Amino acid sequence: MSNNENLLSIRDLTIHYFTDDGVVKAVNGINLDIARGETLGLVGETGAGKTTTALGIMRLIPDPPGKIVGGEVIFDGTDLIKESEKKMRHHRGFDFSMIFQDPMTSLNPVLTVGDQIAEVIRLHDKVSRAEANKKAADMLELVGIPAERINEYPHQFSGGMKQRVVIAIALACNPQLIIADEPTTALDVTIQAQVLALMSELREKFGTAMLLITHDLGVVAEICDKVAIMYAGQILEYGTLEDIYNNVCHPYTKGLFGSLPSLNSRVKRLSPISGLMPDPANLPEGCPFHPRCPQKCEKCTVKEPPNVEVTPGHFVRCHLFDNGKEG
Amino acid sequence: MPELLKVEHLKKYFKTPRGMLHAVDDVSFSVDTGTTLGVVGESGCGKSTLGRVVIKLLEPTAGTITFEGEDITKMKSSYELHSRMQMIFQDPYASLDPRMSVSEIIAEPLKIHKLCKSREELDERIRELMDTVGLAERFATSYPHELDGGRRQRIGIARALALKPKFIVCDEPVSALDVSIQAQILNLMQDLQERDGYTYMFITHDLSVVKHISNEILVMYLGQAVEKSGSDELFDRPLHPYTKALLAAIPEPVVKKDRHRELLKGEIVSPIAPKPGCRFAARCPYATEQCHSVNPELQEISPGHFVSCHRVKEIN
Amino acid sequence: MKTGTAKKQKKRSQASETWKRLRKNRLAVVGLVILALIFLLAIFADVIAPYPYDQQDYSSTFQTPSAQHLFGTDNFGRDILSRVIYGARISLQIGFISLLGGAFVGCVLGAIAGYFGGAVDTIIMRFNDILMAIPRIVLAISIASALGPGLTNAMIAVAISSIPNFARVVRASTLTIKDQEYVEAAHCIGANNFHIIKRHVFPNVLAPIIVQATLGIGTAIILAASLSFLGLGVTPPDPEWGSMLSEARTYMRDYPYMVIFPGLAIMVTVLALNLFGDGLRDALDPKLKK
Repeated sequence: MSNNENLLSIRDLTIHYFTDDGVVKAVNGINLDIARGETLGLVGETGAGKTTTALGIMRLIPDPPGKIVGGEVIFDGTDLIKESEKKMRHHRGFDFSMIFQDPMTSLNPVLTVGDQIAEVIRLHDKVSRAEANKKAADMLELVGIPAERINEYPHQFSGGMKQRVVIAIALACNPQLIIADEPTTALDVTIQAQVLALMSELREKFGTAMLLITHDLGVVAEICDKVAIMYAGQILEYGTLEDIYNNVCHPYTKGLFGSLPSLNSRVKRLSPISGLMPDPANLPEGCPFHPRCPQKCEKCTVKEPPNVEVTPGHFVRCHLFDNGKEG
Repeated sequence: MPELLKVEHLKKYFKTPRGMLHAVDDVSFSVDTGTTLGVVGESGCGKSTLGRVVIKLLEPTAGTITFEGEDITKMKSSYELHSRMQMIFQDPYASLDPRMSVSEIIAEPLKIHKLCKSREELDERIRELMDTVGLAERFATSYPHELDGGRRQRIGIARALALKPKFIVCDEPVSALDVSIQAQILNLMQDLQERDGYTYMFITHDLSVVKHISNEILVMYLGQAVEKSGSDELFDRPLHPYTKALLAAIPEPVVKKDRHRELLKGEIVSPIAPKPGCRFAARCPYATEQCHSVNPELQEISPGHFVSCHRVKEIN
Repeated sequence: MKTGTAKKQKKRSQASETWKRLRKNRLAVVGLVILALIFLLAIFADVIAPYPYDQQDYSSTFQTPSAQHLFGTDNFGRDILSRVIYGARISLQIGFISLLGGAFVGCVLGAIAGYFGGAVDTIIMRFNDILMAIPRIVLAISIASALGPGLTNAMIAVAISSIPNFARVVRASTLTIKDQEYVEAAHCIGANNFHIIKRHVFPNVLAPIIVQATLGIGTAIILAASLSFLGLGVTPPDPEWGSMLSEARTYMRDYPYMVIFPGLAIMVTVLALNLFGDGLRDALDPKLKK
């Protein structure tokens, strides 16, 4: 993996929460790369550490109890972990911005949508109020909302429209990277389709890179170039969309696909992963997935599996593929 | 198969400051014993209200509900009815009383209906129910907040099964769960149906889930049934423009070369004091003058396949 | 039986969870310790107090604090320390009993109003509003003067004047709880309204009630003291803290210790109750604090 063309490189990022009941190991040494203009899907179930990863990149982990224990987050050549808080504030919103899951709570109910978009612009650009408002109106048009609605309040918009406003705010300073945390989970399918289409359209237009956090493998297939499967704070499988969807390697990823009811064929029974997500305060020895794994062996319970590159760019963290490389 | 539930011209309106909210507007359907009816639609289409009216948590504004040959809308008390008809709720966090332990929650319906004569019999029945839904006995004294979503939903199912009902309304029972847990719960519900012959009314917004579990599917839009047919038939040959759009909007977990597709314009409108005409006309690409003025009736296009659309013959 | 004992253990563990959080709050623990001491004083007053509370000694009136009379003596030569200790008995009694009575009525009214809504709600809550519009002390004075002086009547007055606060807190909590899915689920298994209020609504509004009650006892003690001070509460020679203040009022200029000690007793008790109540609120609902 060469670092030069990557907009964002995460190396061995480790984030722990130090609580009264012990250390919660939310993120345990993950590696990710996002090239300019590329979309990476970070997929996992509740508690996998997806949102913590995103907050870690933004340096927004609530401290205490959370702490970035180790690793690097290289954004455009600078390590964000070492940046001062003042510089981070400048980065946020200007170089990268975030879209949250719930459009109902991520907008301020007492400000008009126009003011909220203009606020971001004025925080980062020295422009007059009128110019900022003009730009805000342009942004609204861009996300498919008539500019006349600039003086309306969030409650006057529907859920899908609110999420469009959130996207407008995120894009207002033309950032290089957008981190979207479950951006369409709260929306109905027809609205989700509209918002996803808008996001890919804008991404192509501005060449913005995106980290899309989701639990929905369908959404990932829709707009991502690369996929990382996260489980118990680790990336278990990582590769291009084709690698992951057409050549599934890790038993956990297989389990995720097996859990999905299909639209095209009629299966009598689903084949889910048995058991539950491990408690991040008390992770199992060896491979974190071994208690639920149908293909586990002796080794899995004691030794942490290495990150194996099965085909160029397709990484799997599993002992099953360990041998192939050595032998 | 014998018909267990028959709903005819059911209406449920709510008074709001801005006018009458037509949550359920003239819906008719029936469910056969031992089968699953899937009710699918987007938020605000009235599917949850429909479920609550059917189980008599809400009184209907008009219409009849015939259950086991008896019109239940005329019943004064639903106490006895609820031993034949139960509900599983959406939110495994909000649907369990946080101050009660697992065994207390499961025991509650048994106590209210005085089904167990002794403490021993009650304990035995609780154990049996926990075993049925796959909950280990050691959780009997746990409190809901100590358990994960999947286990909590199993408690909800055990509570619903306690009275040995024939018919169970399931209101989005898996939408709050992770996919791997969702699959476990869906399998459990199917196993229970096969073993004990339960009849389900399965309410959801997730089309792939509804296809997987249902025999018949009812598609709702703004309080009305727009299409109703067998599960496979609906997915193979959707007739209503809304059903088509809904199917096209599902993101599928497969890599596709061409990611473009037909998108439905606009958003769901308010169900308060709706205008005459087809509810979907405002978003429908095929809408004509007639669609905006006359409300279409549900008509049988092929055996068992009902659609309410004026232009169904022209556009298919 | 196996399940029976296991259940008890679990129940205790929930309370112990609260206890664990409470213990971390130093001020709350201080409040609790002081409260415990005051309780012990009240219970063992007969053993601890150096003199009977009504023993008059005209040869030693108005004595300043000394080894013989730690808190001094009053105009009848009665030992003030003994009277303060016996006073704890009466003050705590008034505080707890009147508050429990008020809380019970308030909770029932609030739960009924919140649960059923509509006309029932309107009638109960408008009546409640009227009670709340009258300053509490004025309300208590009017009730006490209508009933006449005496311990029981003072308690009734304090109880009635504490109803509105409870009714309001319980109604607000009931409104949120009755929309929870678990209440719907209870309807679904055929539970009647009485069962739902008793089994699902009350246990879940208990936390705010306990907090309101702990904080309310302090107010109730002050209110009872005020009534006694005005001559509407406990009648002499019973040593209620408020009535001690009232009697000492005339001699305050020359013998300030006569008001200082009963006054301190009220202050310390109420402060301890408030510290404990605040701590309890945070311990019962850890979300509130963050």
